[in-house]
Amino acid sequence: MRTMSDDSKNTFSNYGVYDLVDDLELSLPNTLIKFQRISDNAFSYFRENSEGKIIEKIIPVKSNDIKIELAPIRPLNHPARRTNYVFLKFDKEIHIGENSAASIFVHCPIEIGIFLIHNNNYESLDWVTCNPLNSRFGLYGLPDTGTLCKYAQVSLATDYDDSISYVHGVLQIVIENTLSFAQTISKVIFSITDNRLYYEDSKTIIDGIKITMKKRASVNFADVNTTPVETDWTASPTWEGEITSKHMEMELE
Amino acid sequence: MMVLELLQSLSEMQLVGDLTVLSLLIGGIIMAGGIIIAKIAKLLFHKYYAPSLPKGTAQNISKLIYFGILIISFLGFTSSQGIDLSGIMVAGGIFAVVIGFATQSVISNLISGIFLIVEKPAKPGDTIDLPDMGIFGTLLSIGTFSCKVRKFDGTVIRIPNEKFFTSNIRSLTLSTVRRADVMVGISYDSDIENAISIMKHEILRTMPFVLQIPEPEFRIEELGDSSVNIHVFVWHPRDDWSQAQPILLTTLKRALDQAGIEIPFPQRVIWTGKD
Repeated sequence: MRTMSDDSKNTFSNYGVYDLVDDLELSLPNTLIKFQRISDNAFSYFRENSEGKIIEKIIPVKSNDIKIELAPIRPLNHPARRTNYVFLKFDKEIHIGENSAASIFVHCPIEIGIFLIHNNNYESLDWVTCNPLNSRFGLYGLPDTGTLCKYAQVSLATDYDDSISYVHGVLQIVIENTLSFAQTISKVIFSITDNRLYYEDSKTIIDGIKITMKKRASVNFADVNTTPVETDWTASPTWEGEITSKHMEMELE
Repeated sequence: MMVLELLQSLSEMQLVGDLTVLSLLIGGIIMAGGIIIAKIAKLLFHKYYAPSLPKGTAQNISKLIYFGILIISFLGFTSSQGIDLSGIMVAGGIFAVVIGFATQSVISNLISGIFLIVEKPAKPGDTIDLPDMGIFGTLLSIGTFSCKVRKFDGTVIRIPNEKFFTSNIRSLTLSTVRRADVMVGISYDSDIENAISIMKHEILRTMPFVLQIPEPEFRIEELGDSSVNIHVFVWHPRDDWSQAQPILLTTLKRALDQAGIEIPFPQRVIWTGKD
């Protein structure tokens, strides 16, 4: 079980499960979260974010076995849930030679979920983003037929340990070029609802994706698929009730 | 034996012409069976198929099934009575022409309704604009003879299907994203590039529903009498118009005010002649 003092490197609360006995205060970058026991059978919840937005809730409880889990979640909810797709624009283009493959790591934005656990049931209580400026929309394709995505400009990461606490997780992308000529990739669009998130302390990693550049008939395209990551980090609970697994195909640049 | 004798006696009891009590009984059973089958078919359709169809389409198919079975039952009833339909067909044809002229608009609306269901220019729940009629709102239903649209002032307007089908329909729901635009003027003394950079930064910083791809677009629309007029275009998710259009001018004014860029108003210099 985690406490507020688990993280010795900063003053922020680590991801993990916290006992909700009496009062509990969780601190995240630009965000303050407070639980207060207001009676034997109820807690109050207070959250203020960097934009000054305040959320207050009353949580009636039946038993004393109440826990809170703070965990990274997919970056789909701020400012509103509109899509399952993520559009990552790389800060540097990736050049892949003919009939070759490469593996890169990129920083992928995350949000943070606050889950209420009682009798082993998980309920989503709230979610926050510690970097609202990097939580924006973008369109892939044309206005009438395109795909609305959460958009972020991302930088390359060195490895899974290069996660930026509370803001970015690390996503591995394997790029395979089966074409007979070199290709350059500067973005990836994929449905992130198939990707699980894993955390340790304040770091996050995300299930990877594989981009296969190939040819069908006379059309060259990039096929994007999820590849589960093998890790002993804790899997984050997800709260998207509806999981759509729509295969993504991108046009080549 | 008793039943056979009863049926024999019923078949011998003539009512009018060749019409007997037995044939009338068989006809009644056919009609009753048809009504029961029609109701069961309608019920099964509503239970198993209607939930996966749009509401208007489900209602119309349901009516088609119900009345289709009733018409087939009626034809079965008439043939069981030995009724010659050729006379009725001729009379029916003349009757149909008369009724057709009398109910031209009704039939037109009915046919238009069928075309609307087939072509689907809009579906219930879509936000639509009918510029020819000045109607702007949410399409509630496409019925047999008319469509209902809830305008943004909360009132519901009924539009005959024929008018709806033949008018221009602008759908605000078919596209993934929509564009909002405003015009803003800056003084001739201002650096245009700097003003655009400031406005763009403020939009992307404070308007989370504005798309970053495609980027906000700035066009110098006019060198006006008092100002350089810049047309600003931003894209947003189609359902979030209220998070873009109404606050765009506020955002731009705030950005220009903070940067000390003047938004001029029309000025007129009046020279008075000497006495």
